[in-house]
Amino acid sequence: MKNTIRQIFHSPKFLAGFSILAAMLLVLFIYPLFVTGNPLQMIGLSSFSKPGTYVSVYDAINTTPDIMKLPHADEKRLAAKLSDDDRIAMKEWLVAAGIPEADIDITDTDALLELWSDNYDPSAKPAGMTMAKRNYYKRLNANLEAALKGTEVVVSEEDPETGELNQIKFVKDTDYVNTKDVVNVINLPLGTDNFGRDVLKELVSATKTSIMIGLIAGTIATLIGLTTGLLAGYLGGWLDDLILFITNLFTVIPGFIMLILISYGIGQDKRGATTVAIVIGLTSWTWTTRSVRSQVISLRNRDHVNLSKLSGHSLARIIATDILPYIASYVVMAFILQISTAILAEAQLSMIGLGPKTSEVPTLGLMMNWAMLYSAHTHGYWWAYFPVLMVIALISFSLNLMNTGLDQVFNPTLRD
Amino acid sequence: MLRGKKLTAILLVLVMVVATVLTGCGKKTTQEETKTTPTQAPAAATTAPTEAPAEAEPETDADPNQLPRTETMYFGGQQWGVINGWNPLGDNNNNAMALSASGSGSRTIMFETLYMYNFLDGKMYPLLADGDYQWNADMTEITVKINPAAKWSDGTPVTAEDVAYTYETGVKIGNNMGNSNKPYIESVTAVDSHTVVIKSTLTEDGKSTNPLMLVNFLGSVYIAQKAWIQTVEARNNNDASAIKADPADDVVYSGPYGPYYDDEQKVVFKRNDAYWGQDASLWGKLPVPKYIAHAIYADNAATEAAFKAGEIDVNQQFIPNIQDLWLKDGLPISTYIDEPPYGICVNIPTAFYNLEKPVLQEVAVRKAIAMAVDYDAINANAMTGQSPTFKQVPRSFMNPTDGEQSMYNHDEVKDLQWVGNDIEGAKKLLDDAGIKDNDGDGWREYNGQKISLVAACPNGWSDWQASMEIVAAAGEKIGIEITTQYPESDPYLTTVTSAHQQDFDIFMMWTDSASPTQPWGRMRYLMSSEFNGIEGNWSGNYGHYSNDRIQELIKLIPTESDPAKVKEYYTEAVKIYLTDVPSFGLMYRPDKFHAVNESVWTGFPEQGDGLNIPPADCTDGYGIAALYNVSLIQ
Amino acid sequence: MKGYRKYFSKKIVWFILTFIIAFLLNFALPRLMPADPVANIMNKTARGLSDASAVKAMYDNYVKEFGLDQPVIVQFFTYVKNAFRGDFGVSFTQYPRRVNDIISSAILWTIGLQFPAIIVGWILGNVLGALAAYIRKGFDKVLMPLSLFLSCVPAFGMAVILLGIFAVKLKVAPIAGGYGFDLIPNFSWAFIKSIFVHYQLPFWSIVIISIGGQAIGMRSMSIYELNADYVKYSRFLGIKDRKIVGYVFRNAMLPQVTGLALSIGTMVGGALVAEITFSYPGLGTTMLSAVTSSDYPVLSATTLIITIMVLIANFAIDIIYGFIDPRVKAAQFD
Repeated sequence: MKNTIRQIFHSPKFLAGFSILAAMLLVLFIYPLFVTGNPLQMIGLSSFSKPGTYVSVYDAINTTPDIMKLPHADEKRLAAKLSDDDRIAMKEWLVAAGIPEADIDITDTDALLELWSDNYDPSAKPAGMTMAKRNYYKRLNANLEAALKGTEVVVSEEDPETGELNQIKFVKDTDYVNTKDVVNVINLPLGTDNFGRDVLKELVSATKTSIMIGLIAGTIATLIGLTTGLLAGYLGGWLDDLILFITNLFTVIPGFIMLILISYGIGQDKRGATTVAIVIGLTSWTWTTRSVRSQVISLRNRDHVNLSKLSGHSLARIIATDILPYIASYVVMAFILQISTAILAEAQLSMIGLGPKTSEVPTLGLMMNWAMLYSAHTHGYWWAYFPVLMVIALISFSLNLMNTGLDQVFNPTLRD
Repeated sequence: MLRGKKLTAILLVLVMVVATVLTGCGKKTTQEETKTTPTQAPAAATTAPTEAPAEAEPETDADPNQLPRTETMYFGGQQWGVINGWNPLGDNNNNAMALSASGSGSRTIMFETLYMYNFLDGKMYPLLADGDYQWNADMTEITVKINPAAKWSDGTPVTAEDVAYTYETGVKIGNNMGNSNKPYIESVTAVDSHTVVIKSTLTEDGKSTNPLMLVNFLGSVYIAQKAWIQTVEARNNNDASAIKADPADDVVYSGPYGPYYDDEQKVVFKRNDAYWGQDASLWGKLPVPKYIAHAIYADNAATEAAFKAGEIDVNQQFIPNIQDLWLKDGLPISTYIDEPPYGICVNIPTAFYNLEKPVLQEVAVRKAIAMAVDYDAINANAMTGQSPTFKQVPRSFMNPTDGEQSMYNHDEVKDLQWVGNDIEGAKKLLDDAGIKDNDGDGWREYNGQKISLVAACPNGWSDWQASMEIVAAAGEKIGIEITTQYPESDPYLTTVTSAHQQDFDIFMMWTDSASPTQPWGRMRYLMSSEFNGIEGNWSGNYGHYSNDRIQELIKLIPTESDPAKVKEYYTEAVKIYLTDVPSFGLMYRPDKFHAVNESVWTGFPEQGDGLNIPPADCTDGYGIAALYNVSLIQ
Repeated sequence: MKGYRKYFSKKIVWFILTFIIAFLLNFALPRLMPADPVANIMNKTARGLSDASAVKAMYDNYVKEFGLDQPVIVQFFTYVKNAFRGDFGVSFTQYPRRVNDIISSAILWTIGLQFPAIIVGWILGNVLGALAAYIRKGFDKVLMPLSLFLSCVPAFGMAVILLGIFAVKLKVAPIAGGYGFDLIPNFSWAFIKSIFVHYQLPFWSIVIISIGGQAIGMRSMSIYELNADYVKYSRFLGIKDRKIVGYVFRNAMLPQVTGLALSIGTMVGGALVAEITFSYPGLGTTMLSAVTSSDYPVLSATTLIITIMVLIANFAIDIIYGFIDPRVKAAQFD
């Protein structure tokens, strides 16, 4: 036994898979210690805030600034409002407004802006210009006006009685605050999702749930598969025929279809994560049965089994001592595969809207489902779905890698 | 009409098997395919001359199988799934562009109504009718003249008999149109070939049951041709179910576009260049696009992707954060209004309280929850800002259009308003009503029991689900436990429309949008006790509220002709609605979303353009006027 | 020959039995779901009605049209009778469309998409797997983990990623649909090209994933066979390497053939997500919408078709096995 385990941990594939999985599990347990709180809490009012650090503007204004003169600060500010494309577009407008093309130098910002403010008319509707383009000019103009309004911004407070604005602070373009001084800062490494939830926090929690679903479903499927496989393989006869017949039915009406039918039948309001896990387990045991059965068949006429039979050992004892140890490695491998297929099954089920309840716990499938419902992929909100996909693939990959490693240990012929 | 649903799929299989499995033989296939093209060409040549000579674009007309991009306008978000049929007498055609869902119909590109309703100004514009309709003195009869220029697609004139027979058949075979109008319309008769008289059913005191429903008839019933209806009746042996189920591939229509092609991937309509509407009595010209096409997408994400790629010109679909499409992606996409709420909202998705639940019979509980809900969060999250806030448009049962808003006195109900997220106010209300947390577990009790409510909406309706989550969060803040449930939509609707139900305590439903019967219809929908106790009630008041004064007002308003009096009645009804809180609106929402991609076509309606074209599908109702105004970009 | 006859007749009996039970289940399973099958169509057609008796009349009319007023046993025999004539009745939700019409337009898309993808994935996977087993070294070291990783990406994930990269970002592939949005189906080069172009993303999203799984299976089987005693013995006898390799891969292929038959069975379920992501019409989406709207006739027909496809595939495999696999041959004379 000890030897086997040592051998297993000498298999590079198993080790690689195991390390990936262990690293993920470690994160699952450590991360919530540092970042506490309900993963389903909607912290953002707007959806899909992009990854990054968010500093409270309100608090930042109330923080004492340090004065810094950074080179190129103004240029950057202007560039953010006025890109090269914008300059070309401005030229187009000016030309259409009758300015000779030779008089327009788009590299000379001041001259360009002056020409612009003299000639732009937001209410004009040049013939042939699309609504989208006209709106673009309106926005550009508003941006430029804001950018050119001088170097100081006044912060005022509204008097609740009179409605008057009282100036309380001036913000200069050379004011900088240290993020450490700002009281409210939130770090969102993976942004927020459609509900305005912290994706990373949710992802950690979802991974935990999905692994749990995998474990429950895998255990159920393996137990049923093992029992039926042992019975069918060892006893044979009509029981074998019956069990084989049932497994054949599952091939003919594929498990995933059964899964869809049952999940829909249960109804979303009663579909907790555990229920879904159980249903997945109940519909995916058949291939374990098949493989266990064929293993047992090849074992049952071995000498040591026959010897036990002759000695009058009970069925349970023969199975426990003469069969199980020989197929144990096989069952472990089947179990690992069942876990990974169950995690995939949950994800797939949730993707088509038949996954666990939304409001209780996050799962990887549900995160995918919501990201797709809000078309995160066509909008380029990669943080809402890509990490989820990678986690699913990594879990599955690590489990499969471990499995291949085990396979090579137990079947020496497969060794490299 | 071309039909080749299977052809495509068979071709696909052939192509795949040939091209993918036998990649080596690519050359041979090319030769075979080029050989088949010439046989197709003569067919094209024969169809070309029948085209209107005005369309002088020979090179595009040469291939009947390609929809020239510059002659086709593409739509999105209307048609989901394959078309079932073309039957204006049927109820389940699933044919959004030709026959919008029954009950809420208004003219389409293929079928026409007597009048068109424009929700921007709340007026009815004649379509098949000639001039305004006339009421008789005691408001029990409407007389409508039929436009003598109106013609069917087979060239015969549209007559008063067609209108009468359409209605009679509807009643006879019991389709949705017949059934929903029967209680209000006594008869539709043709006085002469161009005059129709619509008689109202009468109450005991000899008044019209509901004049508004007569007006509604004018704007919502698709007129079908009598001769064609008789053909259908004959071939189905007058069997009502069979008539309704007839796929009607041979249907005669009066609109500017007719069926051209449909399969499981798309539906295409082609302009009828002999359309009667180019007569000066209507708009004096034909709509600009020669083809109207709608690809069938699997879901919103696919539609949106196609819209962004410029494969859709006009998109009727909720797009979260739509401003990103032009602000961030720089696409030539616009909405009716350039800033939030981007469109015109006419619908008020509403949370109903189940008033059969004892704790919800307490007005304080109903109002407290409604006050605590963070509507700004719903607007930001579920609608991504595409809805006016309740600060901008105070709550009532009126939609945010100026027309409806002017129908009640805002100042008189000012003190009853709430804008949401008022946790302290809600708590105080509950405390004052004696509904407190006595055992200190953080949840309030009612009659010694913890208040625990279920909030529900259908699964997968993402914006509604987000709203229900926010309602549940509000409950938690004021010490009322609210859990959410999202059943599949069919079982959900079955429960909600049943006579009695104990499953959901707070549940979401849509409301009526804009039509000539509004806001009366919405008031009735939200509060009328006439629907209580009905099994399969699709008409409204799903929480089974009842109030005698409201019933009186529901009767009074339609027959009242003095606008000042009507305003007084509506104000009173709003007062009752905001006091009793039998339900509360969660957001304002457009009935049809409207976004356009100007990569090919331009000249779509925009706010302040003075054209009075409502931002909708551009294919139904008065919004169809947009099709006459568009032009190709330069 | 007698052995074969016994083998096949036993197989046939089992197939018939499986078919009968599956047929029963196909009828029964949808009807066990706790939902009102008329709710969906009522939801679409009864809006705006305020007259209770009219609503009830409409409801009763649909119940009668769909034959739901009959006892279940009568419904079953009607179903059996019609099914044997190839008529699956009328859809509850797409009424008045016939189920046959719905299915026949959907199934060709599914087969057209899935069949070549499965076959190509299978062939490429097996070739790569065999090469990995034969060449080992660097090829194996890189290929093995990579294909394992790819096979672990869920099908919908691959679809979404491919769509995001090639259609949305690079704009080199169409976004949705089975053919160009500006075309009408016809026998022309442009149309066929369009079908082919639209086919690429859904096709590769399936192929890439299946390559991985097949390659790993084939690699293990090949290594196993390469190390088998008969190979050593053949080498010892001086039989040409190429000939030995031929034997080895033929033997290693056998279990892979079973895998192929099974993947044909899971075709419809597997197609579902690719169909949704790429707006490809097909059996998967048809089935899903039938599930969520309790459309019994469509549901029974789709599951029945899956059943028949799997049975035929399995049957064919069994027959082929009976002739080519010496181990099965031997078993017949047990």
